Amino acid sequence: MAGPESALRRALKLAGLSAGVAARYASYLAQHSFLREDERERKLKATHAKAGQRVTQELAALKGPAMKLGQALSLHTDLFPDEILQELSALQMSAPGMHPSLVRTQFKISMGRPVEEIFRSFDDQPFAAASLGQVHRAVTRDGKKVAVKIQYPGVREAVPSDFKLLRTFARTTGLKRKVPDAVLDEVEQHILAETDYRREAENIDFFRARLQPLDYVTVPQAYHEYSSDRVLTMSMVGGVHLQTYLSDRPPQVERDKLGAHLLELFYYQLLQIGAFHADPHWGNYLFGPNGAVGLVDFGCIKRWSPKFVEHLHLTFLYPGDPKSAEFRRLMVEGHSMHGAKLSPAALRMFSDLTDNFYRRVYPSELEKENEFFDFGEEAFLKEYMRHATQLFRAKGTLPEHVFLARAEIGLYQTLHRLQSRVQTSKIVRKFLRRRS
Amino acid sequence: MAKTRTSTDRRQRSAGKGRREKNRAAIRARIVSAALGLFREKGFDATTTKAIARRARVAEGTVFNYFETKEDIALHFFDLEVDHAIAAVRKNTKLRRAPLEEKLFALVQTQLEFLEPHRRFIGAAFLHALRPTSKLGFSSQAIALRNRYLAFIEELIHESLPRRAGGLFAWFAPPVFWIYYLGILLYWLNDDSQGMQSTLALLDRSLKLGVMLLRKGEL
Repeated sequence: MAGPESALRRALKLAGLSAGVAARYASYLAQHSFLREDERERKLKATHAKAGQRVTQELAALKGPAMKLGQALSLHTDLFPDEILQELSALQMSAPGMHPSLVRTQFKISMGRPVEEIFRSFDDQPFAAASLGQVHRAVTRDGKKVAVKIQYPGVREAVPSDFKLLRTFARTTGLKRKVPDAVLDEVEQHILAETDYRREAENIDFFRARLQPLDYVTVPQAYHEYSSDRVLTMSMVGGVHLQTYLSDRPPQVERDKLGAHLLELFYYQLLQIGAFHADPHWGNYLFGPNGAVGLVDFGCIKRWSPKFVEHLHLTFLYPGDPKSAEFRRLMVEGHSMHGAKLSPAALRMFSDLTDNFYRRVYPSELEKENEFFDFGEEAFLKEYMRHATQLFRAKGTLPEHVFLARAEIGLYQTLHRLQSRVQTSKIVRKFLRRRS
Repeated sequence: MAKTRTSTDRRQRSAGKGRREKNRAAIRARIVSAALGLFREKGFDATTTKAIARRARVAEGTVFNYFETKEDIALHFFDLEVDHAIAAVRKNTKLRRAPLEEKLFALVQTQLEFLEPHRRFIGAAFLHALRPTSKLGFSSQAIALRNRYLAFIEELIHESLPRRAGGLFAWFAPPVFWIYYLGILLYWLNDDSQGMQSTLALLDRSLKLGVMLLRKGEL
């Protein structure tokens, strides 16, 4: 039970949020008939930005589950204007925190022993905010520098009541049409799983073992002996967030290398491991020199269905015509493996996507294998977004496709911000097992 | 610094009064711990002074030399609890520059931690204290204890908030805090979440909200 107080406050917050944001848009609409065209555009942007800030502040104040939902929504790029998205993505990195007394209490209750009995030193000021907790630096008794993630109190207890509210909220505001119940259910399950840090420690072990072959990737080491369901102690991962990385103006060659690594990491995880450490959004990576990539946040890993991955091995870099009967047959088969029936509209959408997007970004001809794709160009991202929007709306596709599209959006946005040039097909082909 | 001196003084004083005093303290502690053990196992109401004496290995008359009734033992326990919590907050140098909500959090949390092993007894004592005849709720000792606690709350408020902020409301705050504290206690007694997560969350958020209101000086 989250307690009547917190439930009430959250309810008020959510109500306040919808009213506040709606009022901004209403005030814009009231004025807009008097504005000239260019000014209207500017005004609209300002309205979006204000509303976006408000959404972030409100969600950040709610912390925990609602903030996580904000992040999940921020990946639904089609739902929101850019300005709101920017604000939402700020959530990935910041949240109001716990004061030192609460941190230490939470630690002691979760670990059974006070901080100072376990660590030689412990920094009371957090150095990073995770979505459901905050991260502190510490040094173990034997001198290892570690990061200790500590969960906000009552997060797990609040998840069910928060989601009950969100469902009500979604129903009354018409958000439901855009965020269907199935998505909310799934986000709820993921968040609930994410509140158990022991699971996250196991996820870290899994990826640490499986990503060994990629030497530029750093996966932290989880220290199980200093961890519990609400405390997670791991080794420090070097590197900086994308924003900081870019502010140092890394040369093109560095950005290309990093881009290649990110793309390789993406397809290695998808095609070889069958699991993602997190959404491949830049908030979940740390970047270093020489294309080094540090992975953070293993709370919400995505395991792909093996059949889905198997099917990708068949269709990715499809050498023939995506409008051909064979391609159609492959797509229909891929869906029937999962007991789903592919609608003609969805089939057309996949053909279009392959034709207009994949064949351009990932040329399938062997002679084009060494070509670089420039992710800095604007058009490719727009093109992908257009198709992804159709895919989100299409009936009869697999949920896995929606996830993949979301993941790809994260990847492409990151590569676009890096303005990387990458030998896309060459990298992907390394991991495809299939016929000639 | 004055705080450290007081506790040193107290220590020196008790050392000076010699062995007899020490003995008395030891017996008193034995009676209290025997009583708390019984409150925990049998409940507050079912515990008799006879049983307390037997467990403390003293004559029943000796118990009366120290405590008139078992309610006095309970009051003594709450005295210890409040002393312990106030001392913990005073001793914690890190709290000195912390915002008010953190100091109050540390205080209440220390109290709850102290009370935790005696949860069952606290629940019974709570109900007991509601009776108009109860020493726990309405005796002069109980009122003195509450005043001591609230004086400390007032001290915390005054050292954290600029003098003019809060106004009347700040003056009014300690009694309001007492009601708040009882509410938290009741919530905690009924909190079945693992690791008292719900209580911690409520405590944290409500203190932030309360201190914010206090800073604004209005309800």
